[in-house]
Amino acid sequence: MTPAPLASIGRREVRRALNKGTLRLHLGPFVTALRSSNRYLHDYFLDIYRDCPVSVGAGIIADYYLRVGAPNVLRRFIRPQVLPDPGFHFPTLPLPVHMAPLALEMGMNLSAALQCFRFTMFHAGVVAKGQDAVMIAAHSGGGKSTLTAAMMEAGYRLLSDEFAILRRDRVALMPYPRPVSLKNASIDVVREMAGEGALSKPLVGTPKGTVAYRRARASDIQAMDEEATPKLLIFPTFKENSSVVVSPVEPADAAMRLIAGSPNYQVVGRAAFETTMAMMDGLKAFEIRYGNTADSVKLVQDLLGEGTV
Amino acid sequence: MKRAYFKMAVGLLPLEGTTLSDFLFWAGRAHILGQVAAAHEGEAPGKLGDVLENARVRTAHDKRMLTFEAERIERALKGSGIKPVLLKGAAYVARGLRAGQGRRVSDIDILVEERHLAEAEMLLREAGWVGEAATAGEYDQAYYRRWMHELPPMRHKRRRTLVDVHHRLLPRTARLQPRHDLMMAAAKPIENSSLATFDAADRFIHSAIHIFADGAFETAPRSFIELYYLFDDLNAAEQGRLIDRAAEVNALRPVAGALWAVSHYFDAANAHAVLRSMGVGGVSLSLRTAIRLWVRGGWAKPLAGFALYVRSHFMRMPTGMLLKHLIAQAFRRRKPAKEARTVN
Repeated sequence: MTPAPLASIGRREVRRALNKGTLRLHLGPFVTALRSSNRYLHDYFLDIYRDCPVSVGAGIIADYYLRVGAPNVLRRFIRPQVLPDPGFHFPTLPLPVHMAPLALEMGMNLSAALQCFRFTMFHAGVVAKGQDAVMIAAHSGGGKSTLTAAMMEAGYRLLSDEFAILRRDRVALMPYPRPVSLKNASIDVVREMAGEGALSKPLVGTPKGTVAYRRARASDIQAMDEEATPKLLIFPTFKENSSVVVSPVEPADAAMRLIAGSPNYQVVGRAAFETTMAMMDGLKAFEIRYGNTADSVKLVQDLLGEGTV
Repeated sequence: MKRAYFKMAVGLLPLEGTTLSDFLFWAGRAHILGQVAAAHEGEAPGKLGDVLENARVRTAHDKRMLTFEAERIERALKGSGIKPVLLKGAAYVARGLRAGQGRRVSDIDILVEERHLAEAEMLLREAGWVGEAATAGEYDQAYYRRWMHELPPMRHKRRRTLVDVHHRLLPRTARLQPRHDLMMAAAKPIENSSLATFDAADRFIHSAIHIFADGAFETAPRSFIELYYLFDDLNAAEQGRLIDRAAEVNALRPVAGALWAVSHYFDAANAHAVLRSMGVGGVSLSLRTAIRLWVRGGWAKPLAGFALYVRSHFMRMPTGMLLKHLIAQAFRRRKPAKEARTVN
């Protein structure tokens, strides 16, 4: 079957396909086969991925095969737990069953980060205005996801909260608009901006604290095949009550920092080097320090405006 | 059913539908997508093309790594007079063999004469390869050095690549002791290099030993595809002499197993013919059954896997020693388990 929005398919059919592992999520450049009988995961998926194209049925080739389920038979019944199983060995923490949405998102990140080689992947959030993309590099406490979600409210489309996906043949970023992962205080900040309905139910007490997901909008999903050109690279640092500080980053320095956060740069090899260098030639990189989200959004808008003039 | 997949992996892909997607899933789990991609050159349409291209990029990196590391090992040993033989994947890549195309590798294996072992270790250490953390413990170090066929694995401190330095093909304690000295004597040097590889027949024999006498069945599809190509690359004369050579180097049983696997999974008539020429059955029914159940998957897989695991240990060391080893493994002080991670 040709992929259709999840919401257009019967809920029971979706649950059945998830149980059997015949559900395929077609998002951006990747097809992911999902398998799970966890009802928390079903509910979450039906809600947060409702606008995403899926197909149901055997015979559809996938890039990734992800199962989310009990780590062993015992844990299906006694103090049940879930774990993402992307099909290769990777140490992950078993979670209580109701945290299955987190296991799903972690598993999808693992699958793409460690199994994708036909694109160069960087750990960054990406939003775009028209064809111009802003990359928000990840680093702990930087507020990548909060800023990504805030940029969505400022009229930018979401390419990805997690990966800048660079083509090997030209400087272009591929959208992979999965939900934006929000932690702790940023949940309230984004809820205030985007409205209650845009977020999943928060999961309290996970290994990362409280976690909630901001749905990719129907408009983001509709534009999931439209590449964007990176024009701006931001290394954000959030500091409570700090005033705004901007400093430009040398292209070579910015490239090294970006590459350090790539799971596959070395493996992709020469093409990764060439496209990354070409990408750095076409963008401006800044370190920004900010104390509230509104400031950072305004700043990014200004920098993008300047950068593209 | 799974048997048909082996021929797909080295020959023609099914065009579409459930068989193709099931096959690709199986091939992905078996880590042989790179080999599948190498056997199916040319543009494939749609998602199939994506999957094969992805595998090609991945395995091209493994190949670069092997070539680069082989050159670094050669440099490290330069001037010492040590002439290492590249084994397995590194040898296939160095010789440009089909067995090496698209093959996933995690380490590089070399074989040196035992009298050169200490010097080779010292020179590699000077070049940056240090003891791998997982086997740095006293028990493992002592065990490897006293009983094994290789040094404890060495990892390069900057490039993180792993080298296994062998001085024989099976542990000292193994029931079977192949004549690696004869195989080394027949090894062929690589042009413009101080490295060598086994000759074609011995490459097949060594691969057979590794799989059937050392029990490398975890990645059975990968192993059997390798055997298929290595056997298929032998010319008629080499195939004809294979059994004599196997007898000479004391590796008849593993070679019989390998010939059975090639003839069973790839319907290779010539492998079957060579196997028949040995006279005896060659491979026990129980081993064949265990392998078939293991490869087929399903409910019997864990049981078959356990049987193969027990067999591999039984082959590797005498029973009394095995008991002692298992007890030591069970009671040694657990290092704090590598912390499980959550991922963003």
